[in-house]
Amino acid sequence: MKEGFLIGGGLIIAGLALELGVGPVVWEAFAWPVNGIVLAGFLAIITVMFLLRKKVYAFRFIGTYEAAIPAMVYAVVLTIIMGLIRQEVDGTWLNNMLTFWPFVLIYVYIAVILGQIILRRIVNCQFSFFNLKRNIPFMLNHLGLFLAMTTATLGNADMQRVKMITTVGEPEWRAIEPGGLIKEMPLTIELKKFIMETYDDGSPKRFASEIQIQTKSGKNIETIVDVNKPCEVDGWKIYQYGYDTQMGAQSQISILELVSDPWLPFVYSGIYMMLAGAVCMFVFGGRRGDNK
Amino acid sequence: MVTWEQFIYFAISSVLLWAVGAWAAWKNRPAMAYTTTVLGLLVFFAFIVSMWISLERPPLRTMGETRLWYSFFLPLAGIIVYSRWKYKWILSFSTVLALVFICVNLLKPEIHDKTLMPALQSPWFAPHVIVYMFAYAVLGAATVMAAYLLFFKAAGNRSEEYEITDNLVYVGLAFMTFGMLFGALWAKEAWGHYWSWDPKETWAAITWFAYLIYIHYRRLPKHNPHLALWILVISFVLLQMCWWGINYLPSSQGASVHVYSN
Repeated sequence: MKEGFLIGGGLIIAGLALELGVGPVVWEAFAWPVNGIVLAGFLAIITVMFLLRKKVYAFRFIGTYEAAIPAMVYAVVLTIIMGLIRQEVDGTWLNNMLTFWPFVLIYVYIAVILGQIILRRIVNCQFSFFNLKRNIPFMLNHLGLFLAMTTATLGNADMQRVKMITTVGEPEWRAIEPGGLIKEMPLTIELKKFIMETYDDGSPKRFASEIQIQTKSGKNIETIVDVNKPCEVDGWKIYQYGYDTQMGAQSQISILELVSDPWLPFVYSGIYMMLAGAVCMFVFGGRRGDNK
Repeated sequence: MVTWEQFIYFAISSVLLWAVGAWAAWKNRPAMAYTTTVLGLLVFFAFIVSMWISLERPPLRTMGETRLWYSFFLPLAGIIVYSRWKYKWILSFSTVLALVFICVNLLKPEIHDKTLMPALQSPWFAPHVIVYMFAYAVLGAATVMAAYLLFFKAAGNRSEEYEITDNLVYVGLAFMTFGMLFGALWAKEAWGHYWSWDPKETWAAITWFAYLIYIHYRRLPKHNPHLALWILVISFVLLQMCWWGINYLPSSQGASVHVYSN
């Protein structure tokens, strides 16, 4: 275990040096195709480490509990710091953990460990076919987490979130990017009607937009977008976001959010694997005759 | 129409039934223990369902309402543990803990009105919170086991107790995973992203990793069981932070979409 804590400590120091030297992690730089290349390189490194595990002690060590447990302890401690200190978009160091090198390196290290143990289990699988009851839950939990973590992180730069302010009777094709820039969308949305229902005390019960969508690809859709009920067109999910709160039910505008996340199917496959893994965990529990 | 005012009658009947069940377990009368505990659960659940109907929404919005579910799941987890491992004391513990949460709800009732903001009107709402409450109850039971082993149980053969603790953690972590991932799938539908590092999500990740550490540490051949139990106690403290502690945390004021009480 001591070695595991030393490796983690080394990563923290390396992270601090990077933070001082090159500044925070610039996630925007990972937009396609960079993230695809980085992912391919990452998988290649994991495979090489796995192949060299018999020659290099450190690579062998990374696939053990003694490596995994300290890595998770570091992750918990750093995440607790993140939970205790207010996070700000323009913050640095501890005020913006997601771009803080030590935090990022520890999570990357966890992904490397996950990669090692997954490959190890795949190779061992060939020798223990009958032990599917243990190997399938293991794969669902670990591969699911690996997939969800890596694709969510690397895919984040490709995610687009824009706001569109639609006005009754006026087709709109321009949207506002988070930085305030105007983006021309491959579709137009016309607000047909803004729907608002309130409780007796005046608090909103429902707000929704009856909209007509026309896409460059030639689709013409009439639909209602509710909070919690987005609609999807050509890879864009359209959400009810806001309205003119001064006008309330008389609002003539509706603010929609449009989100495109091309990596979502990969993240979701990871999430579904973990859900299936949790079912196995519930059914089989801690029954494990092998290492008692 | 059942209202919050009638809670005390349902609560007293349930607690009395659970107390009789706990007593019966001590006296080696399992049939009686099952019957009274289940009856108590039915009475309590009847109140939850009646509130659901009279509020016209699932009673899951305020902290008081989640405590209601927690008081229900504790004896439920207790009776499941009792049926599998025949621990005489588990029903007494679950009854006392349920009583504590019922008392909190009686002394600090939170406003239970009908309003439910649009963001919470989703088919994911009930499963997300109920699954989490069940996980918290089971992990609470695991913490009680850990405390029992750490502070009360005399030295001797403990392998059975450790096995129960492990099983409780596995079940609890499985349900916590459901709760977290249901939350992610819901967040995508409601807010456009499955994970935003909202303070509640950050603390959910912390808690999830903490229990993962316990599970992996217990699988280490040369581990210190005492330290493992302490990991469980610390994990449960972190869980409290996730559940209600963040409401008081300066760093999450105004930064969390998970604060709905007001």
